[in-house]
Amino acid sequence: MTPFSARYYDGKTSQRREVLMWAEPPGRLRVSGDGVDFSCQIAEVRPSLRVGNTRRHLQFADGSQCETEDNDAVDRIFAGLPSQAPGRLIHRWESRLGYALLALVLTAAALWAAITYGIPALAKEVASVLPPSIETALGRDALAGLDRMLLAPSELPPARQEKMRALFSNLVSSIEGAGGYRLELRSSKRLGANAFALPSGEVVVTDQLVELAQNDDELVAVLAHEIGHLRERHILRRLLQDSATVLLIAAVTGDLTSIVSLASALPAILLQAKYSRDFEREADEFALDTMKRHGVPAESFGAILLRMDERRGAAADVPDYLSTHPAARERAERSRAAR
Amino acid sequence: MGLDCEPFKARRAAAGPSIFLEYSAVPEFLEPAGANVYAGGFVSTRVVDDRNPGGLVADQPDVALSAAGDIVPLRFTGQAGEYFRIWIVNICLSIVTLGIYSAWAKVRRKRYFYGNTLLGDSAFEYLADPKAILKGRIVVVAGFAVYSLAGKINPLAGLAMAFVFLGVLPWLIVRASRFNAVNSAHRNVRFDFRAGYREMGQFLILPVVLVPLTLGLLYPYYAYRKRRFFLERAFYGATPFTFTASAGAYYLAYLKAALMFVVFLVGSIVTLGIGALPLYIWFAAYRDGAVARLTWKNTRLGGLRFDCRWTTGGLFKLHFLNSLGVIFSAGLLAPWAAVRAARYQLQRISLQPGAELGAFLTAAQEQVGAIGDEAGDLLGFDFGL
Repeated sequence: MTPFSARYYDGKTSQRREVLMWAEPPGRLRVSGDGVDFSCQIAEVRPSLRVGNTRRHLQFADGSQCETEDNDAVDRIFAGLPSQAPGRLIHRWESRLGYALLALVLTAAALWAAITYGIPALAKEVASVLPPSIETALGRDALAGLDRMLLAPSELPPARQEKMRALFSNLVSSIEGAGGYRLELRSSKRLGANAFALPSGEVVVTDQLVELAQNDDELVAVLAHEIGHLRERHILRRLLQDSATVLLIAAVTGDLTSIVSLASALPAILLQAKYSRDFEREADEFALDTMKRHGVPAESFGAILLRMDERRGAAADVPDYLSTHPAARERAERSRAAR
Repeated sequence: MGLDCEPFKARRAAAGPSIFLEYSAVPEFLEPAGANVYAGGFVSTRVVDDRNPGGLVADQPDVALSAAGDIVPLRFTGQAGEYFRIWIVNICLSIVTLGIYSAWAKVRRKRYFYGNTLLGDSAFEYLADPKAILKGRIVVVAGFAVYSLAGKINPLAGLAMAFVFLGVLPWLIVRASRFNAVNSAHRNVRFDFRAGYREMGQFLILPVVLVPLTLGLLYPYYAYRKRRFFLERAFYGATPFTFTASAGAYYLAYLKAALMFVVFLVGSIVTLGIGALPLYIWFAAYRDGAVARLTWKNTRLGGLRFDCRWTTGGLFKLHFLNSLGVIFSAGLLAPWAAVRAARYQLQRISLQPGAELGAFLTAAQEQVGAIGDEAGDLLGFDFGL
């Protein structure tokens, strides 16, 4: 073969020597020039992988090395070695724009599948294996913390409180596995009309929400929705999904420069909002289903949602993809359709 | 070392006790010296005296770089289009293999950037074994999972884990630095990093305890000590780096940067927030440029000196356009941004050889596992080399 130029480094010093290299039969590689002249078995030489058009380094058994930009010559010499095959395949994939665009499409498809199906399904599976004691541990001090910072004792008349507890226990007794759930009534000016579930099994409802409701059916709807969150183990699943999202994004952007690390917080936020909306829809479905069994009209769910939305005012204008809850109007429409 | 590139850093809440460890995705090769290399400058104990080049080593003068005093710039030959193809295939295979390929992807990426960094027409080389990186990643993912789960289930267990993490931190940093250095080579001579776990632990008291205690007033001193600590334990072959800057010079640089920060704050308020991003990048460009120039100009390797010509305007243009490009292309221009950053930052670093580039000796080395390095990658902190 035609000799090609390379630099020879002996591995003992940083001295550089200009040499020529060529393959010669039987299966040997010759290095010659500038005080160097030797040949060795091609099988004993370890060539570096081809990455783009970067230079190749050929490592010899004695620790010395040759560096050359003649990638094609190196490929030809080592063409027969099976150890080179995977590297060559990947290089071929990387060397054409068309193939690279195929990788882009594949990446987009894999990401979409992972986000839409993979992560939620995986989280659900893992959550079903984990014991309920994990959730108890997660939410152990949550209510105490909220009581200190956001919530005050309920100021509802005792009769009203008793009525709420009756509604709650009536609901819970009809739902399998909901025996441990408790209702906590609180007042909160900062939160306003609101209700939420804590992983340890508490459903917190504010006085402001009780006052906003026009009838008991609306309160049953809200309670059923929150019990839905608990029953479907949304907080644990959300924790798992958020962790998986962070890992996925790290896997994708780990190969990027750091500018992107700043921007990569954005997809994480968007995804977490999307998952949150998915859980809300799931809890809505659970609520509508439960209400049906109790003979509570489905539209009372929509009615209280819309009223809460009005009360909140400006926040209602947040576009859907940024919001942690689906738009109230959409949810209300579905509650009407559920009839 | 010099190039922290902070505009591109974001604190990561997930990193747990990241008291001083900031996230940086700047490829290590951008940290001093081209190939991640702790190549600040060279000073030698064992390297040949330049008046007697035949003494210990090679007797042939290095053709390309023989004239002492000639300025030799680093060159970067990577192309955005070429790197885009490597980048997207890396991402695709990493996802499809559920992350296993990411170790190979990392090696290909680093080989691309190292291999395109030329000093005196010799390329840098990244030599890490992907299997070692994969092993490191698995250990780190498992450790991170235990840590985050412990913190969520029981704050006390989380606290205990944080202490365990602080305890292994010196070991982690030493191993990561060593792994990176040993797997970087130029002219078939590997770099090295040699520090004891105990001295690393003692050094870490400065950022973990003293800097927060003094409300950051010690930060410039820490920045100075950090560079000195890492440079003076770094070697090219058998030749250690040395560092000649003074703490006072760092205080001056950070003081001026602090004034720029005031400009950023005032300007952001006056322009009602519109000017915040460009002004912040301007401030970061000013600080990074000043610190990098100071660091490089005071780094030696044997008789070699270094020079750095990063300017505030140049860095501003680089980072500002990169940010716009990456944001408005939804990340697709990230390879273009990485190549631009490497080109600007590397090509403005040069060597003034007082010794010959061909006269450095190699040192005997043992294998180093990749666990430390991967912890750095995955937990998203930067050891600030």
